Amino acid sequence: MTADTGVIAVPHQEHEAGHSGGINTALLGMLLFIGSETMFFAGLFGAYFNARAAALSQGQTWPPPGLENVIEPGIIPVVATIILIASSFTMQWGLWRIRKGDRTGMNRALAVTFVMGAVFLGMQAFDYYSLVIEHGFGINSGIYGTLFFTMTGFHGAHVFGGVIGIGIILLRGVAGQFSGKHHVAVEAVSAYWHFVDIVWIFLFSTLYFLK
Amino acid sequence: MPLVGLRQRIASVRETRFATVAFVAVLAAISAACSGAAAGHPGYEPGYGPGGPGPGFFPLQPVSQGGTLVSNFYPFIFWIAVAVFVLVEGLLIWIVLRYRRRPTDTELPKQTHGNGVLEVIWTLIPAIIVTAMFVFTVDTLGKVETAQDPADNPQMTVDVTGFQWQWTFEYKDKGISLTGTGRDGPTMALPINEKIRIRLHATDVIHSFYVPQFLYKKDAIPGRTNEFDVIVQQVGTYAGQCAEFCGIGHADMHFTVQAMTPADFDAWVAQQQAPPPSASALPSNAPLVSVTSVGVVQGFTPKELSVAADTPWSVSLTNSDAAVPHNFSIHSANADGSDWNAPINADAGGSVTYQPPALATGEYTFFCSLHPNMTGTLHVGQ
Amino acid sequence: MATTTVTHPGTIAYQGRRSWIYEWLTTTDHKKIGKMYIFTSFLFFIAGGIMALLIRTELAFPGVQFVDAETYNQLFTIHGTTMIFLFVMPMFVGLANFIVPLQIGAADMAFPRINALSFWMIPLGGLLLYSGYAVGGAANAGWTGYAPLSAQGGAGLDLWLMALVLLGMSSVLGAINFMTTIFKMRAPGMTLLRMPLFVWNTLVTSVLLLFAVPVLTAGLMMLFIDRNYGGGFFDPALGGNPVLWQHVFWFFGHPEVYILILPAFGIVTEILPVFSRKPLFGYKAFVFATSAIGALGFSVWAHHMFTTGAVYLPFFSFFTFLISVPTGIKFFNWLATMWGGQLRFSTPLLYALGFIALFLIGGLDGAFLAVVPFDFHVQDTYWVVSHLHYVLVAGAVFGIFAGLFYWFPKMTGRMLNERLGKWQFVLLFVGTNLTFFPQHLLGLDGMIRRIVDYAPNPGWPELNLLSSIGAFVIALSILPFIWNVFITLRGPRNAPDDPWEANTLEWATTSPPPSYNFDSLPPIRSERPLFDLRHGLTPHAAAALPAGPTETHDETRADAPEGSK
Repeated sequence: MTADTGVIAVPHQEHEAGHSGGINTALLGMLLFIGSETMFFAGLFGAYFNARAAALSQGQTWPPPGLENVIEPGIIPVVATIILIASSFTMQWGLWRIRKGDRTGMNRALAVTFVMGAVFLGMQAFDYYSLVIEHGFGINSGIYGTLFFTMTGFHGAHVFGGVIGIGIILLRGVAGQFSGKHHVAVEAVSAYWHFVDIVWIFLFSTLYFLK
Repeated sequence: MPLVGLRQRIASVRETRFATVAFVAVLAAISAACSGAAAGHPGYEPGYGPGGPGPGFFPLQPVSQGGTLVSNFYPFIFWIAVAVFVLVEGLLIWIVLRYRRRPTDTELPKQTHGNGVLEVIWTLIPAIIVTAMFVFTVDTLGKVETAQDPADNPQMTVDVTGFQWQWTFEYKDKGISLTGTGRDGPTMALPINEKIRIRLHATDVIHSFYVPQFLYKKDAIPGRTNEFDVIVQQVGTYAGQCAEFCGIGHADMHFTVQAMTPADFDAWVAQQQAPPPSASALPSNAPLVSVTSVGVVQGFTPKELSVAADTPWSVSLTNSDAAVPHNFSIHSANADGSDWNAPINADAGGSVTYQPPALATGEYTFFCSLHPNMTGTLHVGQ
Repeated sequence: MATTTVTHPGTIAYQGRRSWIYEWLTTTDHKKIGKMYIFTSFLFFIAGGIMALLIRTELAFPGVQFVDAETYNQLFTIHGTTMIFLFVMPMFVGLANFIVPLQIGAADMAFPRINALSFWMIPLGGLLLYSGYAVGGAANAGWTGYAPLSAQGGAGLDLWLMALVLLGMSSVLGAINFMTTIFKMRAPGMTLLRMPLFVWNTLVTSVLLLFAVPVLTAGLMMLFIDRNYGGGFFDPALGGNPVLWQHVFWFFGHPEVYILILPAFGIVTEILPVFSRKPLFGYKAFVFATSAIGALGFSVWAHHMFTTGAVYLPFFSFFTFLISVPTGIKFFNWLATMWGGQLRFSTPLLYALGFIALFLIGGLDGAFLAVVPFDFHVQDTYWVVSHLHYVLVAGAVFGIFAGLFYWFPKMTGRMLNERLGKWQFVLLFVGTNLTFFPQHLLGLDGMIRRIVDYAPNPGWPELNLLSSIGAFVIALSILPFIWNVFITLRGPRNAPDDPWEANTLEWATTSPPPSYNFDSLPPIRSERPLFDLRHGLTPHAAAALPAGPTETHDETRADAPEGSK
């Protein structure tokens, strides 16, 4: 077998930035993963609107009778939402810093983001606690409770995963990794964090306002 | 340039012949198998249909108006499919026979990469065919489902409730409610040539009301009421069965539709409305045993009962389930060795007293014929 | 980021000091992982096949003789789940794992460690599924697990749910890996429209997996919550809706059908040009048809739900008819590819021909099901059983054997025995038709599926017996294959680099390829780089010049790694 060129392909190495051929391989993988996660949440939203439409078409109210005022955009959910949305900006700020080669700035931004994510989870846990204890509203309180806790619960699990991811890149950043050219992990975690944030915006407007 | 060597060429000729022979033989075998399967079966009782000839390439003989529409439409689809089948398989066989590699084939065949005109042709023609099939499908569908027209009132409504694993048929305006027992299930009497609305309910899981000779089925779904209309056109007895897999008793969830003339139907209604004959009196000293509760989860309580041999006896059954009927049946308790099936069920929360036959000494298994996995042991002795 | 989640920092190993077993357990080489996928899924094929034999033995005669209803329900549930999630899907992933990087001239997958993770989830998922038998009974609600029936049942169903979640995650990670590999790691000159059709089909399959599987995962989670935490998704008493499960399941389930068949299309499309010594007729038509099937695959799910009374019938009927058009395009292009060619009837071609001959039946009886009023009659009858098995046995399984015979020399350096291969083909061809054709007639006569016992109506016992005999013929046909693989692997390495005079890049390296895949690549100027190398550029390919490497490939380098020739 003869060949007039001796070109061979090798597996892509992570942190091999400075590429000219479009999107980084690892980042593409993360974006595709986010695509599949989008479909996962689309399935949950589909269940929500299916139940809502079924109730309304049968002349029932939605939320179901007795539960109209359980899920309200009170102080805790609103503050938690503001914190989560703000954390997207701090995340992006950290990404911009490392793109400019400022690792210290990135570390600061990541630390702030990490804390904000953790605070969001804490506030969500508190919200759950008050719903379950004070209102007696749980995952087994009919379809409405099932939907609320399933959707926010899976979102919370994703936030948790994101916080872990931020923690890892923060540790790596503190350990002196990443540079203006090599920071694909930061790009990937950032994309994931923005996705988690956007899902929450949809969840919040659906569960708390649209109902 | 690595071309096929002489030895390989000879081998390829042998392979070719082998393949051709095998291919033709197999096709012949299939068609033989099919025609054999579709041929008549002498000596059979009429099965599903009156004088039904057994399975073939066409659906079984319909007895309802909607079924007739489907049956009349079927050949249109069938012959299109046959035409496509013959065309493609014919081309395939022709290609296999004509374009074998021959020892003389040292040069490459003409390297054709495609043909835009052909692509358009064999995109458009199938598209036109399926569009035609779609149009006729919607047309037939509209005729079959005219029942859904709210202005088009049925002459009678039967409420059907499927549950694990039995059916209840209710003629609400006539005060008739029939729940099946045993493997045969209940019988639904219907007058012919009248539009009957069947409303479908389910209490536990999804079931499907299917009478093959209506060429129609519809699911009975918990939390939802489905309905369809049927006009039966022939007097006869038609088997029906649950078509949606619903658990361990699914294969036994039968029922029967008995289509009769309106006069016969009126007589049937009168007979059903008459009070049931009172059970033959037992001797006052006949022993009574009790099943104090029965439910899907815990089964019979107690699970062991004892009665005297060769003595008339009775058993009372209290159903503790909130929604599911049960009954008390006994395996191999009839004189001919067959199962004694309870004549009626204990409704959810209700009680029933049964009078099973007197039994010879031995151990028997009692069970709920609706839930064959619920069993207990009956000791019959002195 | 994502690649750091795997614990084994294994790299391509050149040293021979590690033990053989450790090497396989920790490998990240796409070829070894591909072989492990193929081997594992074949074991599950045998397990699922034995279950099919038990099912057909029970159904050989009316009455309940051999297994009771509960056992039977578990058998067909685990049979279906095994064949779909543990045999056909991982088998195609295994073939694609081995072949796709080779066909695009890459050295490995984009994420080798995630690739290993995807594989190891398969046996783990299988273990979860089968452990149901150890905890009081495996899942028994059918592979479709319709709620609320699937909300009943014991721990076996929870294990079934967990197994499917795990297998789904494996598929999603695999899909991401394939898409990234195909988008980022093609050799210079390998433009999208020069990719082999198998790569195209893998790409479209991956897109389907990426968007369909997470929806199933969401549904499985909902069912798990219903079963274990008092959720009400599918319980009408709590305001839920049983039909929702069917929407969610089939939104995954119908693309899944194409996930199971598109790779087989790809394999057949690879084989026909090679064994006809002609280029593929209508390359772009194939690309178009594959993509169209992928897109339309998302708009037909509710044709599984015509009898629920809860879907808009004409819409789903129309798209179901429509999806047969791109499939028809493929059929005619396959025939045109062979037309005027010089067919060499080696085993891979026989399987490809068998695929065309029999998948046609599965396509046609599927078109019947788009006829809604007819579907009312045959839904949930043996017509559907026949249809799906003509698609999955005559389609997927024939495609799998075509691919295995075609690529076995590349994988092992050894040619499978042709005589045994042909005996196997004849037996499988006869067995498939014997088993599944009579089921059409039973379905037309109203025999419903998933019943342990059936009425002895005229003709039913005969047709069922015929079908059961056919099942044993299929089982018999697998024996020559196992024997064939056994004696071939014990035999000497006899396969040249390119035993079939093929067209695509995997044949440009040794059989089997070295761990880094290629010493050198031929120039890629058309979809047939090896043909061009043998015969010079045809006018067709020459006309495509000077397109050249329009896409840049930063992950390539001109020097070969150590150890290459």
